[in-house]
Amino acid sequence: MGTNLLQGTLDLLILKALALGEMHGLGISRRIGQITDGAFQVGAGSLFPALHRLEEAGWLTSSWGESENRRKARFYRLSRAGRRQLDAETQEWSRISVAIAAALRATHAT
Amino acid sequence: MKMWTRLASAWRNLFRSTTVERDLDREMNGYLDLLTDEKIARGDSPASARRAALLEMGGVEPVKERVRDVRAGQLVETALRDLRYGARMLARTPGFSLAAILALTLGIGATTVIFSLVYGVLFRPLPYPDDDRLAMVAMHFTPQNAERGPMSIADYLDWRAANRSFEDAVVYQFDRFPLIAGDEPAEITGATVSAGFFSALGVPPLAGRVFGAHEHEPSSDALIVIGEDLWRRRFGGRADAIGQVVSIGSTPHTIVGVMPASFHFPQRDSEMWANMRPRPPSRRGPFFLAGVGRLKPGVTLAQAQAETNTIGRAIEQANPRNYTNLTMPVVPMRDVLIDNAGLVLFVISAAVGSVLLIALANVANLLLARAATRRREIALRLSLGASRARIIRQLLTESVLLSGIGGLAGIALAHGGLVLLKASDATPFHRINEVVIDGRILAFTCVISILSGVLFGLAPAWQSAQETPNVALKDGARGQTSGRTRRGHAVLIVAEIALALILLVGAGLLLRSFVLLQRANTGVRAPVQDVVTLGLTPPARKFRNAQTNELDRPRVTAYYTELVDRLKRMPRVQAVSVSDTLPPNLMSWADSFALEGQTFEQAQANPTVPLPIVLGDYFRTLGIPVIKGRAFTERDFHADAPSVVLLSASLARLCFPGRDPIGQRFKVSGWSPNNDDYSEVVGIAADVPYDGLQNSANAQAYYLPLQPANVMGTRMAVIVRGDDARTFTEAVRRELRAFDPEMVVSQPQSLDQLLSASVSGQRFRTVLLTLFAGVAILLAAIGIYGVIAYAVAQRTHEMGLRLALGAARHDVFRLVMGDAAKLTAVGVVIGLAVAFVLTRWLSTLLFGIGARDPLTFAGVSLTLMAVALMAAFVPASRAMRIDPMTALRQD
Repeated sequence: MGTNLLQGTLDLLILKALALGEMHGLGISRRIGQITDGAFQVGAGSLFPALHRLEEAGWLTSSWGESENRRKARFYRLSRAGRRQLDAETQEWSRISVAIAAALRATHAT
Repeated sequence: MKMWTRLASAWRNLFRSTTVERDLDREMNGYLDLLTDEKIARGDSPASARRAALLEMGGVEPVKERVRDVRAGQLVETALRDLRYGARMLARTPGFSLAAILALTLGIGATTVIFSLVYGVLFRPLPYPDDDRLAMVAMHFTPQNAERGPMSIADYLDWRAANRSFEDAVVYQFDRFPLIAGDEPAEITGATVSAGFFSALGVPPLAGRVFGAHEHEPSSDALIVIGEDLWRRRFGGRADAIGQVVSIGSTPHTIVGVMPASFHFPQRDSEMWANMRPRPPSRRGPFFLAGVGRLKPGVTLAQAQAETNTIGRAIEQANPRNYTNLTMPVVPMRDVLIDNAGLVLFVISAAVGSVLLIALANVANLLLARAATRRREIALRLSLGASRARIIRQLLTESVLLSGIGGLAGIALAHGGLVLLKASDATPFHRINEVVIDGRILAFTCVISILSGVLFGLAPAWQSAQETPNVALKDGARGQTSGRTRRGHAVLIVAEIALALILLVGAGLLLRSFVLLQRANTGVRAPVQDVVTLGLTPPARKFRNAQTNELDRPRVTAYYTELVDRLKRMPRVQAVSVSDTLPPNLMSWADSFALEGQTFEQAQANPTVPLPIVLGDYFRTLGIPVIKGRAFTERDFHADAPSVVLLSASLARLCFPGRDPIGQRFKVSGWSPNNDDYSEVVGIAADVPYDGLQNSANAQAYYLPLQPANVMGTRMAVIVRGDDARTFTEAVRRELRAFDPEMVVSQPQSLDQLLSASVSGQRFRTVLLTLFAGVAILLAAIGIYGVIAYAVAQRTHEMGLRLALGAARHDVFRLVMGDAAKLTAVGVVIGLAVAFVLTRWLSTLLFGIGARDPLTFAGVSLTLMAVALMAAFVPASRAMRIDPMTALRQD
């Protein structure tokens, strides 16, 4: 996972995952795996840079909390701006996917 | 909004870095724990779960690193971290760091101070507005024979009448004013100036006013303008000083204005200016005025020169008896104040440039060597995942840090050095007071600093980062330095040695020249500590004839005769004399002469020589042998005594070759149609220079007794010889005060003070250049030591092998020394060749030896070789003591 497109995708997935509620790093990773039906397994090396970047951009906030088995962990949640960003990116993604689908069909038609 | 948050994050990352780091650490470990728990829940053992978790995660540190990489403010944070790391690395090897910083400090500091000096003295505009419009005007004619000689009042008036090129034709005369304000009379240096002086220079007064155009008539009042320092010192900076009347040599003068402290024309210590009130002259001479003027707008120097030459021709036509081939050279003022200083500063700058190059070469060598020893560390970091760019950046930061510290220290040294130079009196340069470390030179220094850091940091950084970590880790320190690096070292060392040699040759030549100069024949045989001189300025009104207002010559003779008699009677005083000229370079008058039977044209060709006018036992007081004939006796000083003269030996040889000069006839001051004003030569004295020690080889002069006919002025020096001058100097001063309390007496100076003062300029540059040469040789020695030591360290394994295979220890020693000797020899040969070409430019500064003096060249080469071999000795002997077993086992 390194290109801009994939980075943007990861950001979107993280935002979506957190839309369902606050979570710590490992949990976000598992949730992403769930909501993509196992297509994306995000490792720590990609996840945490993305999380910190999103937090510095102001779309996430974080705080210390306790996990299920009473471990101390850093929890992330969507900020208001983050919610707005999620909506915007979702719309953008739909637009792009429709356009690409159309383009692909056009090629096949010939 | 987004940027704001990013900025806030950047702030936090930079300034709360510990907190941020701690949080990151906890978060990562927390993640690891959770992941481990997951695996345990699935049935793994705690140990294998943790291992699997670490593997899946990819390690805690790499993840942290990747998080750090995306952090805001990352660039600055990384830079800071690099700096801290760099500082730690430098501190780890204090020897290397100190050596490199020292080299840079010396190089950059010396460069800055000298360039500031060069700039301040040579290139910066003079403190007068539009100073390129200012020029000096002089006279050049036979028989005066001075390149840019003084003019007379008659010349001034003629020039002023015909002048169209300058705003004003201005002249001035150096003067010393005996100021009687308060208890102790003091002698103030300054000038008497004609109309238009201050407006030509264009500096407005600080307080009061300057002289008006109408205040230079013979009937005008006596006025003075004083300098700011004098105003504050003697008059408390009070406004009521303006208009105050003070006694200058018992003539009342009114102070009309104050000039700012930055104004000191014509000399560094000029503090008083009097208004010249010239009377219509009765004859052409004497010549004692310097001309200056500001060109009118639109007039070029060439046009002004053409005009003055026309004026010169007109003067010559009107006065053929007095002038032949008269020109009036017009010289831009800046060029007048420089003369030899330009060459000297150029030489010194070249010297300093060389030192800087040597210093930088040393640093390069050090950095190259160090980079090689860090191969392993760098290889390790590469294998741990650091990017090449990061490593290059880090090494670069280290080098920049090094040169930054060196640069800052150099700047500090420069400021301190300049303060020292200004305080010491060894700098004869005209505008030394105004020299500051200016911003441009500072910037230049910083650029050199950073550039050198980048340059030297780049090569080793690049080289280190290029190779694969594998190679470096396997080989370890045993890795051979590439041939290219070794050649690089060799080239640098050879260059260092060549430069050091050139510097040493220059310094050696100057040093020998200086020693020869000091030992130059001063002609004076009296023990220097037994002779003391004092300058005497009696009030002029004492010698003013009340009716005619002319100088009463017999009174001058009588005055000084009485003074000499009084001093002669003092205990411990062996001989006393009064003279207007002192060796080796304090001459007052110079004049020409004519010999019996010479035509006017022939007499024109006679040289102009110093002409001391003396009273008392002049020759005995100074210990000047009278080779033939006699010295002046009491009779010679009487008004009606026949005119006599003493010649110096070389003058006698010139005038009367092969004949006995005693009894010959000698016309003082030049040709005359009358035969009756010839003097008789009564004695020949040994040569004594009065025009500077560098002219001691051909010290022509003639002496006149101070009889009324020969009196020219009232200021004289008294010379007293006795047993250890220190014991009777104070008594002499008291006696002088008792003789005439109104006479201004200058500080006493012993003969060796006079001698040493006359060569202070040469001393300064010799000392300076020797200092630089010393630094250069030190740096070169350190460089050689470093390179050889490093080479030995690198080749320890090889040497151990040789020893194990049966080589004798002194073979190894010879091997190392041989390497050093080869490098040095090449450097010396190159240096000699270049020096041979370059020293030609030094010849004007040398005395007594040629610019290719073989003794100096040979001596310097041998010294440098000896130093280089000594520097190589320690590492060579260390090589000799290598234990083959340890060396072979060494990694």
